Amino acid sequence: MKFSLVADTLSYMENTTKRLELTQHLVDLFKITPPDIIPKVVYLLQGKLRPDHEGVEIGIAEKIAIKALSKSSGISIRKIEDEYKDTGDFGQVASKILEQKTQTTFLSENITVERVYETLYKIAELKGARSQDMKMKYISSLLNDATPTEGGFIAKIITSNLRLGIADYTILDALSIAYTGSKENRPALEHAYNVCSDLGKVSFAVSKNGLDALRDFQVTIFSPIRPMLAERVKSPQEAHEKMGLEFASEYKLDGERVQVHRQGEKIVLYSRSLENITSYYPDIVENIGKALKSDEIILEAEAVAINDDTGEFLPFQELMHRRRKYKIAQAVQEYPITVNFFDVLLVDKKSCLDLSYAERRKLLEKNVTEDTFAKVMPMVLVKSDSEVEDSLENAINSGCEGIMLKQLDSPYRAGARANNWLKLKREYRNELGDSLDLVVVGAFYGRGRRTGRYGALLLSAYDTEADMFPSICKVGTGFTDESLDQFYQILADKITVKKDPRIQSGLEADVWFDPEVVIEIVASEITLSPIHKVAMDKIRKGSGLALRFPKFTGKIRFEKTSENATNIEEILTLYNSQKRVVQDEKIN
Amino acid sequence: MVFSAKTGGSEEWKAVISAISTLVEEATFEATGEGIAFRGMDPSHVALIDIAWPNSAFEKYVCDADVKFGVRIDEFSKLIKRSDKKDNIEISISEDKLLLVTIGKNKKYKMRLIESSATDTPLPKITYNAKVGVTSAEFDKILGDIQVVSEYLSINANPTKAEFSGRGDSGEAIITLEKGMPEMPELEIKEDSNATYSLEYLNSIVKAVGTVAGTVVCEYSSKMPLRLEFKVANIGRIHFYLAPRVES
Repeated sequence: MKFSLVADTLSYMENTTKRLELTQHLVDLFKITPPDIIPKVVYLLQGKLRPDHEGVEIGIAEKIAIKALSKSSGISIRKIEDEYKDTGDFGQVASKILEQKTQTTFLSENITVERVYETLYKIAELKGARSQDMKMKYISSLLNDATPTEGGFIAKIITSNLRLGIADYTILDALSIAYTGSKENRPALEHAYNVCSDLGKVSFAVSKNGLDALRDFQVTIFSPIRPMLAERVKSPQEAHEKMGLEFASEYKLDGERVQVHRQGEKIVLYSRSLENITSYYPDIVENIGKALKSDEIILEAEAVAINDDTGEFLPFQELMHRRRKYKIAQAVQEYPITVNFFDVLLVDKKSCLDLSYAERRKLLEKNVTEDTFAKVMPMVLVKSDSEVEDSLENAINSGCEGIMLKQLDSPYRAGARANNWLKLKREYRNELGDSLDLVVVGAFYGRGRRTGRYGALLLSAYDTEADMFPSICKVGTGFTDESLDQFYQILADKITVKKDPRIQSGLEADVWFDPEVVIEIVASEITLSPIHKVAMDKIRKGSGLALRFPKFTGKIRFEKTSENATNIEEILTLYNSQKRVVQDEKIN
Repeated sequence: MVFSAKTGGSEEWKAVISAISTLVEEATFEATGEGIAFRGMDPSHVALIDIAWPNSAFEKYVCDADVKFGVRIDEFSKLIKRSDKKDNIEISISEDKLLLVTIGKNKKYKMRLIESSATDTPLPKITYNAKVGVTSAEFDKILGDIQVVSEYLSINANPTKAEFSGRGDSGEAIITLEKGMPEMPELEIKEDSNATYSLEYLNSIVKAVGTVAGTVVCEYSSKMPLRLEFKVANIGRIHFYLAPRVES
């Protein structure tokens, strides 16, 4: 098939922004494309060679492309670069330069779609010392035989500058019209696409065997499923209205969404955008096998960075240290994670997509054996605005960015952003300016490196009026090995058999102390909490205040008695004077 | 099948490999009773190399059935570089499809062969109106001189002289060789001819084989391909074809 047919379509498409016209141009192209070539055309239209999860990237540096263009045209690199600076559109520059081409060749052939595709594929696979030079030569060979229009689009494709303004859905529409006669059949194509995430595969099937072929598309291990997405809501009230009577509230962790595919020993991980991210998480590959009951299973999980000593969740930025090519083993050591499973999409060769959330959750709990690494995402059933609010506060204080609300009877709608799932985050994040001096009232035994010592301390502020010590946070961050030893010794004298009646806390500590030792703490913000008792009911009925991401500064305030610790009034002032920062919506 | 070819030294192979490596990564040689031949075109179809290496150029040569063998040029090159100038190099092909390379008296290599994917490359059929023979040292110098200002070389020859010139953003260069000058032992002109070629290709081939060749013979016609002939002792001939640049 002549590449000029594709190039012509691309030219038409560049001259319109109307979706109907874009679709029609694609339909016209698809109708004259033979089935074995259609996948190549579909990939090239998206500037790709294979679906994203296969990781085949064209990856040509502009420098190399310019060199190739110079070689083919006989026009100097400098002149091309100047031209590029003027227009800023590499495709246009390539067309213009090729019009002035002076280098002749011994063989000239009309270039075909197959040749373009295969040449680019060869380029993608080239590695090693001389690969840059060879890439340049391959591109140059294409440009030698290309017309200026064709050359312009080749230049755009190889430098990832092909922007047609078409989404996957436009291509699905066009395929549907071209091969089934009507746009009405798009849902059938969409279903096939959602379970295999490969437009090329779908296009080949429907072009060859029409609608019947689409029924054969099934959830398959190592072929990622397009994830179900959630709509955003702004308040518990809004969530409640949309969700109905009773629904699930899960932690929304500030981590990376991972689709886990397992077949026996082999485990492959896909990101939310379906790229293969297995290499970043060797610890997941190593550890989850023993937590999963089934040998053939697809699950969804959130990988989140944790403080290994306390199990506390850490913010997203910590996890991003994992996104590196080298020294992965070191990053695994330095930035430990847990994997929190929240959905199951296939078990033992059977797709779970059509099961309800409630059924899938049951299957999930049955199939995951929790350990220190693999967890099932915490979930509660909620019925009212205030229960939603409570679960949100709870999640925020545990280091989550919010909650996910899910309808109990909804299926897994792959690839869809539907209102069966809602995400609720806080609109504002606060910024706490000052440090606090808090009283150590209890402790939790450590694990991992902190086994045999305290892993985290329970802290209280002072309620001057009632002479009470209401808890405000649990802290496990900021301690060195030395300070842990020191605390263990200092606190050994303070242990009490029973909790001092002046201590108020919703948490049950492993050890209780006389409220005497004061330490300095910084935190990212003060938030509402259903667990901690500081300023109970003062801001919201049924909620106290808590510190989010608290951290020990290293200072033990020996000079302060517990009555000198930060008191409720001061905390209320701090709470009210916090800078409110509008939450930036992370693209998730 | 018996095939084996032994050279008197290692320079021949080094010249052949470096010539080929300017154009392709994989090379397919063809051995017949008459000798070893190679023909290949670079991926951009701008340049072509045609090598004929007759049996008489070898110290010992046996081939009782035609055979084609493909190698990765970089792998083959590394191996040949392990030889000293005076080392004999003998190649043959084992039954399990490995290239056996004996260097000097006691060095034996086995190298994997690759599937030859090369298709037959036809030679361009051209009538050459101008023939200009220049010593290779002078030719190399001319390329260097032109490169200072230009990325291409124009050759303009008539029965009395040959002009080599180039033009670029910064200026122009002209080098003139008059008939009879020792640097230009040969000048045969059927018709005044003027044509332009890419310096990049010329430079790399002259760097690769120019040093072992005594003279470089340029044959061309106006706006037509150029054929460079390198005469290398103990290799029959290396022909390098280059498509011209034509201002539209």
